[in-house]
Amino acid sequence: MSTPSSKSPSDLQRLGGIFTKVLLGIVIVLFGLEFFIHRHGVVSAEESFMFPALYGFLAFLFIVQIGKWLRLMIMRKEDYYD
Amino acid sequence: MISHMPPGLIMILAVFLLPFVPHVWRQIYMLGVIALSAYGLFLGAGTHLVWTVLGLDLILYQADALSLPFAIIFHLAAALNVIYSWHDRDWQQHCASLSYAGAAIAALHAGDLVSLFVWWEATAVTSVFLILASGTKRAREAAMRYLLFQVTSGVLLLAGAAILASTSGDIRFTKMDLGDAATWLIFIAFGIKAAFPFLNGWLQDAYPEATPTGTVALSAFTTKLAIYALARGFPGTDILIWIGAAMTALPVFFAVIENDLRRVLAFSLNNQLGFMVVAVGIGTELALNGAVAHAFVHIIYKALLFMSMGAVLHQVGSIKASELGGLYKKMPFTMVCCIIGAMSISAFPLFSGFVAKSLTMSALGETGIYWAYFVLLFASAGVLEHSGIKIPYFAFFAHDSKIETGEAPIGMRVAMGIAAFLCVGIGVFPSLLYSILPYAVDYHPYDAGHVTSQMQLLIFAMLAFVVLVRLKLYPPEIPSTVLNSDWFYRRLAPAVGLPLLRGIMLVWGSFLCQMRGFINAIWDTLDRIMHSPLTGPTVSGRAVLIQAGLLALLLLIGYVAAG
Repeated sequence: MSTPSSKSPSDLQRLGGIFTKVLLGIVIVLFGLEFFIHRHGVVSAEESFMFPALYGFLAFLFIVQIGKWLRLMIMRKEDYYD
Repeated sequence: MISHMPPGLIMILAVFLLPFVPHVWRQIYMLGVIALSAYGLFLGAGTHLVWTVLGLDLILYQADALSLPFAIIFHLAAALNVIYSWHDRDWQQHCASLSYAGAAIAALHAGDLVSLFVWWEATAVTSVFLILASGTKRAREAAMRYLLFQVTSGVLLLAGAAILASTSGDIRFTKMDLGDAATWLIFIAFGIKAAFPFLNGWLQDAYPEATPTGTVALSAFTTKLAIYALARGFPGTDILIWIGAAMTALPVFFAVIENDLRRVLAFSLNNQLGFMVVAVGIGTELALNGAVAHAFVHIIYKALLFMSMGAVLHQVGSIKASELGGLYKKMPFTMVCCIIGAMSISAFPLFSGFVAKSLTMSALGETGIYWAYFVLLFASAGVLEHSGIKIPYFAFFAHDSKIETGEAPIGMRVAMGIAAFLCVGIGVFPSLLYSILPYAVDYHPYDAGHVTSQMQLLIFAMLAFVVLVRLKLYPPEIPSTVLNSDWFYRRLAPAVGLPLLRGIMLVWGSFLCQMRGFINAIWDTLDRIMHSPLTGPTVSGRAVLIQAGLLALLLLIGYVAAG
């Protein structure tokens, strides 16, 4: 998605790297907190280990994948209605 | 005197002076008028103005705990829009947006269905000018389609009200039970403006075609007025849970592949309305508080997101994800505001979306309708995908688009700053919001378990995004048109309907031709008889024959009448 030919893309890559590290840091913190904090769920499955994390991760992948398939069906040229 | 006028009406009346007020003073004038209208809210709960027309009591100003939070946020949104469009010298647009906001506010205070209909239609005919103001062919066509849907909604509302008036004589706008034709007509009228599934095409079709400032105004009023109407008319209607759940989930997939970032936000708006519709469908005090709180904060963060994208459009001239990227250095303030809006709509703790959405999710959990709970949880990850990540990522990061630009005009930045401040303020101090909700609130969103659950959902969804981008599996943005429910009337109906119509016209034309031949044959026969009768004199013309015929008919009638 980025082209490494000018200064800005490398800035963007650096930003992306920082973002990933911060995100991984929060992931580790949340993983650690799971051992200390009792989460309430509306069903017992929701209280199982890292359930919201797994749900969020898989939901995101699912949405993007369905989006890719959907493109094949309902994506048309930009001037389709013109 | 002013305090007894329906709030919003003064904003509509003030429009007539607007063209004559010079620029800048015009904005100050509008802010003053909005403040005057808001002053009317201090009259408090009760029925303050009733007109009796043709035996019907038209309740023009009625206020209660449900209308108040909507009235507050509508005034605030109107004021934000004035500030956001401070640079704009186009008085027509200001007329449209001020009267549109006024009509929506007046509709909130209508205590009967006929008054509601008047303001309901007024929001349609005022707001369409915000789309027309773009001045493009696409905008003009989208505006007409928008108007068609909005007016249809009004006509259905009026039809429902007329049936109620004729059957029960009671047109008060109160809770209704879905069952007879009248209530269904009113329900569908509300459903069109609330963008129910398959009735939503107008939203994604028209909103992104409006001007940068116009879309901000549009995002605030029409759909939230519909949510208010549903909350007043159909709380606890089970079918709304199904409809709302579909609304939260379906637009998520469309938003992923849409290239126009304002259209992505329009899909996102649809998804957010779904949460509110579900909450209205649950109908408990906690759920209705959730619907109102969600509408309140949604107006702010959605306006903020539309404002930030409007600022990009204003500066760059495009809002296509495929043409943008890397603007974080050129428009850092807009980027920060956009991220605050994105975090609010994604419902990160300490942002406004979290404290509002938690009410609905908790209410849904209490009902035991678990499938809907998990659909909404899934949709929450979807919100993060399209509004939380896609909007800021493709506009401000992604790749360097080499676009040379700067920050938007000061008015746009001030409005974005205020909205961003409110998003964080409400998130940090939810009691401010909870204090104006319709029912007493004993709810604490910030318990450790709830916060960790939400953070896990969002952070791991973001992790999925990072993994996909790093593995180059995240789909790139492609200039395209994504088909939506408007395809049915923009393509399918003409494709099927036009040949059908042509066929019918062909048959009709052929029928007329045959008839003409048949009539000519009759006249020809008569002419022959007139000029060559078997006996007696010839008749000189058709007129004489017709007269003779009519006289004979009169004679016949005379004989019959005489007995």
